[in-house]
Amino acid sequence: MPTIRCSAFVSCVALAAISLSLYAQDLTLPLKPDSVRFAAIGDMGNGGKEQYAVAGQMVAYRGKFPFDFVLMLGDNLIGSKDPVDYQNKFELPYKPLLDAGVKFYAVFGNHDISNERFYKLFNMNGQQYYTYKKSNVRFFALDSNYMTPQQLAWLEKELQNSGSDWKICYFHHPLYSSGAYHGSSVELRLLLEPLFVKYRVNVVFSGHEHIYERVKPQKSIYYFTEGASGELRKGNLTKTDLTAAGYDQDRTFMLIEIAGDELYFQTISRVGLPVDSGMIRRVAQAPGAASWPTVRPGHGGLPGRTVATAIGGGLTRALTATE
Amino acid sequence: MKRRIQITRFLLWSSLFAFLAPGFAGQAREPQDSEAARDFKPFIDRVRAYVKMEKSLEASLPTLKPTKDPAQIVEHQQSLAKKIADARRDALQGDIFTHEAAERFRKIIHRAFEGPEGHLARKTMQQDTPFKVVAMHVNDVFPDDIPLTTTPPTLMQKLPELPPELAYRFVGRDLVLKDIEAQLVVDLIPNTLP
Repeated sequence: MPTIRCSAFVSCVALAAISLSLYAQDLTLPLKPDSVRFAAIGDMGNGGKEQYAVAGQMVAYRGKFPFDFVLMLGDNLIGSKDPVDYQNKFELPYKPLLDAGVKFYAVFGNHDISNERFYKLFNMNGQQYYTYKKSNVRFFALDSNYMTPQQLAWLEKELQNSGSDWKICYFHHPLYSSGAYHGSSVELRLLLEPLFVKYRVNVVFSGHEHIYERVKPQKSIYYFTEGASGELRKGNLTKTDLTAAGYDQDRTFMLIEIAGDELYFQTISRVGLPVDSGMIRRVAQAPGAASWPTVRPGHGGLPGRTVATAIGGGLTRALTATE
Repeated sequence: MKRRIQITRFLLWSSLFAFLAPGFAGQAREPQDSEAARDFKPFIDRVRAYVKMEKSLEASLPTLKPTKDPAQIVEHQQSLAKKIADARRDALQGDIFTHEAAERFRKIIHRAFEGPEGHLARKTMQQDTPFKVVAMHVNDVFPDDIPLTTTPPTLMQKLPELPPELAYRFVGRDLVLKDIEAQLVVDLIPNTLP
């Protein structure tokens, strides 16, 4: 069985390498010196060939964009969680990244169990929720399955202490989503959004909906859903006023680069097509001032319709950024 | 001189209050009235006793630290679950959720689901409710291959706080007290959802 997995993986990497040669010129991230570089994946852990293909694509893109770590947005191990599942649904698909020293920082999805926090390669250090810092960026990894008063109090304290760093929160359930299957987690939003606004969180990443979506800034905060790095609900993105850009026709992953007050992002499909890209500028502001940044739509392949044309027909749900 | 004594007394009482207040705050969130506090007290005491027992059983196992070997994680969970189930082989539904506490939980849950935010709590639950609802019993191990139903976060703010070893989970219409280390059903209140 592992032999089959290995050969599937080798095929995926080969396929990714071929497609990279076709599309890697579309890398829009600026690769600035000393920038913070990472990837984001969500709802990936099903062990299917598509997860392996996305992983292969991540490996290939890392050749152009050497990211150091990966945010795992939950549903890290879907289905059974026997030791062999840790191997087939995580270690094997991401082996080249793990071997290269890339670190994965996980949060729980509704398919995960809390004992995964002891799995060293998820870097949760035994915690259900935790925070860490990379250069001028502070990450807050939350457990949205189980939002206790203790977790909220902890989050408030940590946000308060995070000073002028970029503040990036990530957790499984999206506060804003145009996904038809789950939609926005409005109840969770009631508790988290006031804290995000009060302490000026800049960007939020979630999964859960098996699509990619960039939401128009809500109360000056940018929300991304990346829940299609293994699972996919094709055609599940409904067109709502929330959507700035979205894609629901194939699996995807995100690459992000933060340099000073600028955050660059690019979303790439399983076959290496750029799906969305852009830049968010963080504006230094006086306490109490209301608004943050603007997204400058990305260079080149941004988003939707270009991709739709490139892949060919029927991708009406690949939306174009409206800003 | 008299004024200085008064100030000193005030400062002493203030520091005593500041010292004690967090300890009380950390116990139970909901029971603001004395009746609720009375009904929840046996529940809180039994939760504490359970955690104490769980810790002592866990101490007999190799300590689980973050590891690259998932077999160790699975082995630890299964061994702990077996030890707890053996130690509580006579445990019955209602041993921890006492009758009075269970009635309080029902009231809080009904209020939460029928109040102004009730539709949001319902939506949260519907989001993740698995297609296959498994009937759970005390000492059952949670199946790890079906998704968990998210406990409505606004409801979480109204229930008595639990130690980190335990969690409230809904399975179908039942409120389950779950041991998150052992993945075990500690107790449950059936048909709590309105």
